[in-house]
Formats: sequence, structure tokens, C-alpha cells
Amino acid sequence: MSIIYVLIPIAMLFVLIAIGIFFWAVKSEQFDDLDRQSVSILFDEDEKPTPKANDNESTPS
Amino acid sequence: MKYPECFHCGEPVLTGSQFTTHINNSDRLMCCPGCQAVSAAILEAGLSNYYKYRTEPGSKQTALVPEELTAYSAFDLPEVQQDFVHSESDISRVSLSIDGITCAACAWLIEHKLRHVAGIASIQVNTTTERALVTWLPTQIKLSEILSQISLIGYQAAPYQVDEQEIQSKQNSRQFLLRLGLAGFATMQVMMFALALYAGYFTELEVEFRDYFRWVSMIFAAPVVFYSAQPFYFSAIRSMFSGRLNMDVSVSIAILGAYIASCIATVNATGEVYFESVSMFTFFLLLGRYFEQNARQKASVSSSNLHKLVPLTAHLISNDTCEEVPAKGLKVGDIILVKPGEVVAADGTIIEGCSSFNEAMLTGEQTPVQKSDTSEVYAGTINVEQPIKLKITATGQDQLVAEIIRLQESASNNKPKVALYVDTISNYFTWAILSIALLTYIVWKIYWPEDAFWVTLAVLVATCPCALALATPTAVTCATGIFTRIGIIARKPGVFEKLTKIDHVVFDKTGTLTCGTLTITDIELYGQLDKAQVLEVAAALEASSLHPIAKAFEPYNNPQLTVSRIQSFVGLGLSGQINNIDYRIGSAEFIEVTGEHSQAVYLAQGDELLARFTLVDEIRTDAKATVQTLTQQGCKVSVASGDGSIHVDEVAGRIGITDVYKGLKPQDKLSLIQNLQKSASVAMFGDGINDAPVLAGANLSVAMGSGSAITKNSADLILLGDHLSRFNDAVTVARLVDKIIKQNLYWALGYNLFIIPLAVTGHVAPYIAALGMSASSLIVVGNSLRLLRVRL
Repeated sequence: MSIIYVLIPIAMLFVLIAIGIFFWAVKSEQFDDLDRQSVSILFDEDEKPTPKANDNESTPS
Repeated sequence: MKYPECFHCGEPVLTGSQFTTHINNSDRLMCCPGCQAVSAAILEAGLSNYYKYRTEPGSKQTALVPEELTAYSAFDLPEVQQDFVHSESDISRVSLSIDGITCAACAWLIEHKLRHVAGIASIQVNTTTERALVTWLPTQIKLSEILSQISLIGYQAAPYQVDEQEIQSKQNSRQFLLRLGLAGFATMQVMMFALALYAGYFTELEVEFRDYFRWVSMIFAAPVVFYSAQPFYFSAIRSMFSGRLNMDVSVSIAILGAYIASCIATVNATGEVYFESVSMFTFFLLLGRYFEQNARQKASVSSSNLHKLVPLTAHLISNDTCEEVPAKGLKVGDIILVKPGEVVAADGTIIEGCSSFNEAMLTGEQTPVQKSDTSEVYAGTINVEQPIKLKITATGQDQLVAEIIRLQESASNNKPKVALYVDTISNYFTWAILSIALLTYIVWKIYWPEDAFWVTLAVLVATCPCALALATPTAVTCATGIFTRIGIIARKPGVFEKLTKIDHVVFDKTGTLTCGTLTITDIELYGQLDKAQVLEVAAALEASSLHPIAKAFEPYNNPQLTVSRIQSFVGLGLSGQINNIDYRIGSAEFIEVTGEHSQAVYLAQGDELLARFTLVDEIRTDAKATVQTLTQQGCKVSVASGDGSIHVDEVAGRIGITDVYKGLKPQDKLSLIQNLQKSASVAMFGDGINDAPVLAGANLSVAMGSGSAITKNSADLILLGDHLSRFNDAVTVARLVDKIIKQNLYWALGYNLFIIPLAVTGHVAPYIAALGMSASSLIVVGNSLRLLRVRL
């Protein structure tokens, strides 16, 4: 049972880190525009589309 | 007949495939040169992904007039810039509000187009608020160039000033999210240890471990109590100063009392702890407030754009030279030139020229008003036809626009405060609880002094008004969720109570009952041309005009027809030559026929009459059904319009409204509403800026989503999709909310009445107090969640 004297402080540390990340995320405006962030992963893949990449994506649909 | 759709904006292509853009290996149809130019610019920048990932079609592009592009140069004047550009060393920063953003792909498009422009340091586009934050190097690029870069891909950008209220509400919203998140994390942890402690209450838990768990719980609950719960303390203090106790007083006392007592118990290793109750309770309450705050912030965002009503620059005439100057530098007595299509920069009288003015900004009426020498024109109205010279009579705060905004503010201050149920109840409830706790303490102190503190604490915790405090916010939060889903924004607290009480509904005509745009309903032919031909001729003639009537002909425009020697006659019509044949289009008076219909336009070839077009401001499709439902529910329905013509009666008749007031100025509307309010609770629908004061004065005000920003700013409800029938749904939801809130309150009060005698007599064990508190809260939350199942 006395293992909890070690484990609980470790758990507390994890929670602290999680809270830290959450605060950072809120302060860096990640929750300001949820519509946008949810699809940004689609776009940022090809930051600079080359002509070739354009050809690939335009196969007839 | 089914027309093909424009690949860019999704509008039907009426005149065949004249414009195409080669996108992703196939030719796509475009409806107009504007859309074609925009799509070409998008492809040129290598951004064809926009078309791949967008979820909504783009906004329709009208080809940009070169004048519009040069108008951006006004933003380069240092006097204009100092209002909204922030400079730090060599980098400038500006917030832009952007028209035409339809989905996330637009934001990506703008960001990527501008990111590669030399001189732009960074750009961030927010789709929810339709705004962009741009930083740039003024040495490399001008602000006007940035704006025209954005317009190249089809969006209209303009700088705006964020008002204080909006900054405040954004900060509040973020603060709430932080508090809520922290409370969430901490509550999870505290609940975990609480389970161990509960288990220890029934089986034997070693005192050593029990104390350890308590200490850990205490540490986790601390940030919740001292950081997350802060809004409740401040609200409680404010209400105590105003002498009227609200729910937050007993909430604060319960949170702080339970936490401090639990700390004492932990340190002394005796008594009971309530850390988990405190954290959970705070988390639930914050959740409700956060959603409320968010809904309000979303609605208030559009209000910052009010200053767009009045332009930033004006053409000042002095010593026969004309120069562009910042509008705020204008003085009374200055003479300015207002070109066609320009917005008037200050109130004044015409000293030269005559033209018609679109005063929709002030009156809500789209039909331009004709003005000539010595007529008054107002800032914010649009000059439609001819250039005029204007002598300024009022600037800044003395202008009519400012006057209307003030009228609205004073009306909203006089608004009768409809007290929320809970406000009234909580006042008595808090007093009652505090007195009972005090009495309990005194009685126990006299007879059994060693238990007095713990029994009093049990009273406070067990009767802790969580269920009562949650009763209204949870129901309102769920209902706000439904509203958002069906496209209604509830801007102010208390809307639901007001909705259930409404028994008289007053509609504005233009833009509310009608769509606010003219359409051609009937064509009568007199000459040898067929319908398609007369429409093309009429559209070609009207193409050069900014008059709203011209808009009705826009879809029939055939760019192959070219018009020469076009002349416009103010308030009458247009004449011009097509293929060397003279045509005239305009009012009955202009064409010299005896007119019997006010809303008709005639087309003539030389002296021969060709056709008559009947134009109607179309009635919204659901207007009649909405009015019928309202009448069935026992509401009186009236029309109050600024328009004084027969058209008002016609519209009212077709919808089935008999109570008609017409030709009303904003002040008249306000006094009409105040008159009606003597006998009824009045809801007012409006869309123009002229409706703002009367909206602020009505018991409940409803603005259409397409209405002006100032109207939306003063309204209680905003119908985003412009569907009138949504108002009936709103009433239905409000009645349901009312019912659920009452159920919640009865339950909460019943529970408290049951538990108080037990607590006072010292029969409530801490786990029962905590259990009862959680159970009553969960029942209330569950009952409110039933609202989400409503299908409309």
C-alpha cells in the first residue's frame, strides 16, 4: 500500500503537465476558431503544390 | 428549365457558357467575368486545393470596378491609418474584417495567397468571426496593396476597430475556458480519491491512508476553490453591495465554507471532508456559464463593424481643386464632392447637382429617394446616379447616424427589467438558508457546543443550492444549443421568459416580411420582340445603373450586347443605343404612358412601347404560415413600416394582417410600440438601422440575419437563416424550457425542504449530504438534457 506515497505524487505531476498544456493551448488561441482548426490538417499537407501534385489530385472523380 | 451552375459561386449560369476556367484538367463554367477572374487568380497562385476541400460555394463575384480598387488608396493616408494600424518598430499590424468567407477553405485560401506576397510578415484568418490579423512591413508593401491582393481572390476586406465590449467579452470567454478546464482536471482527480474515502467509510481504512487521501484532495481542490470559482465570489460581493442577495451568495458561502471546514478537518484529522462536492459543484456551474458566455460572444462579434457605415475619406473641394482628405477632418461649411456609388461622408445640403440616394441604411427602404438643390442628405447613405456637391452641416456626433445610435441606447436603458424566476427565489432562499444555519448554530452551541460547527456545516452543504443554482442555467444552455442548431441566436439572458409572454407581434415590412430585393414577376409585351429579347435589352441598359431596380435585371444580362450613349435621368430612367437603335427604360412618366401600377418599369424603342415589367419585393415564403400560427396561438399581429405607399397594404393583405401602420419614422415606431405595451407584451421584428431604437424599446426584439449590424446589436433574438417560421419554433422551445425550469425548481425546493429538518437535527451523515447534493444536481441536469431530444 505504501507505494501510493510514490505513485500519487507522480500522478499529480502528470495532471500538472496536462493542465500546463491545456493553458498553453487556450492562450495560443487554439480554441478560438474550431471550424478552421478541424480541417486545417487537410490543407497543410501540401504547403507548396507543385504542378505534378496538381496532376495527381485531379484524377477524374 | 434547369440552368448549369457556376463552378465558383454555385449560382445558375443563365446566358450559356461564355466564361470558363480550366480547373483540375477540365473546363468549368463560370457565371460572370468576376468569378472567372477570381478562379483564375486562385489557380495562378497554385491554390487549386481550395476547390477540393471547400464545403460551401464561394460568394458571387461582381467584376470589380477600377474605382473600387483605387478607393483602397484612402487607407494609406497616415491620418486614416492612425485609428486602426498599430506599429511596432518597423512592423505594422491591422485587423481586417473580410466579407465573403463561407467555409474553412476560404481562410486557407486567403492565408496562402497572402503568405507568399513580399512584405507580409504574417496573416491569420478566423472563419468564425470572419476576420484576419495581418502584420506587414510598411517599407515593402502598402496597406492598399494588401487589400487589393485579397480582393483579387474574391473577398472584400476593410480595417475595423475592435470595440471595448468585444475585447472584454473575448477575454471573459477565454478566462472561463481556463477556469472550466482546470476545474475539470481537478474534479476528476478529487473524485478518484473521494471514491477511496467513501469505500473507507464502510470498510476499515487505515487512518494514515485516509489522512493522506484527504491531504491530496485538499491540494487538488485548492485551485478550483481559489481560481475556478472566482466569478461566483465577485458576483456575490456585487450583489451584497447592491443589497439584493443572489444565488451566487449561497453558492460562494457553500464553496468557501465547505472547503475551509474540510481543510480544518484535514489538518486536525477529525470531522468530515467535502472536497469532491466542492469541485464537482463548481465544475457543473462553470460549464453552464461557459456556454452562456460563448453564445453571447458569438453574437456580439458583428457589432464592431458599425463604423463602416460612414466612409473614411471624402473629396474636399477648395479653390476649385479636389483632394482626398480623411473624413474626420471635415468641418461644418466645407464643400465635398460625392461621386455616384460613393457613400456620403457627412450630413449636408446639396448645393450643386441632383441625384437619388439609397437611404436603406437609415430607413430600411431600398428604393432610392430623389434629392436636388437644398435637399438634406445624410452620412452613410449612398449616392446612386450623378455626382453632387455637398455643403456639410453636421459632422461626427451631430450626424443623424450618431443620433439614431443614441436613441437606441437610451431606449435600451429604459427597458423594463424582467426579473428571472431564480433571481427572486434566490433572494429569499439565501436569506432563509443563512438564517436557518445561524439559528442551528446558536441552538446547538447552547445545548451541545462540541457538535455545533459540524452540524451547521452539514446544513450548509446539504442545502447547498446546487440543484437550484443549476435549474435555470442547464435548461437555458440546452435550449441555446437547440437555437444554435436551428439558426437562432439568443443574445440576451431572459429571452426565454420573454418569449413565453409575447402576445402582440409587430413586423417591419421591408426585409422582414419581404426579402428586400426586387424581382420581376410579370412581363407584358406590346411590340414585336419576345420575352427573352426584351429582357436582354432591358438588362443591357440597366447594367450601368446602381439602382435596386437594375439588380432585378442582372440575371438576364447578355454581355454580347453593348450599349452606347447611355444617359441616366434622375428618378426617371435610362436611355441608350444598342446596335444603333434608341431604347429607353424607366417609369410610366418617363416613357409617357399612363401608368396604373407604381412598381412597374417600361421599355420603349424610340416612341414605340415594347414591354412592361412588373416588379415586386417578394414576400418571404413562410411569412403567411408564420402569421397564421401566431394568430392561432392568440397573438395579435401588426405591420409597422417606414414605407407610406399602397404597397404596404398590399403585402399585409396577402399575408393576412389587418392591423397596418405605415409611413412611420423611427420615433413614431417607438411611440407606437410604447402605446401597444400598455396592454400587451410586444415582440418587434426589424432589419434596418431605423429599427434599432424601436427594437431596443420592445419587450422582445427579433432581427433578421441579413439585417444591418446595428439592428443585430440591439436585438434579443437573431434569425440567422432569415426563416420567419423559426420564430414559432423559438416560442415552442421557450415554452418547453419554461416547463423544465419549473420542474427543476420544484424538485430542488422539494429536496431542500426534505433535507433541511434532517440536517438541522444533526441526522445527516456527510456521505448522505454529498450523495443528496450530487443526486439532486444530476437529476436536474438530466431533466434539462431532455430538451436536447426536441425535434423541430
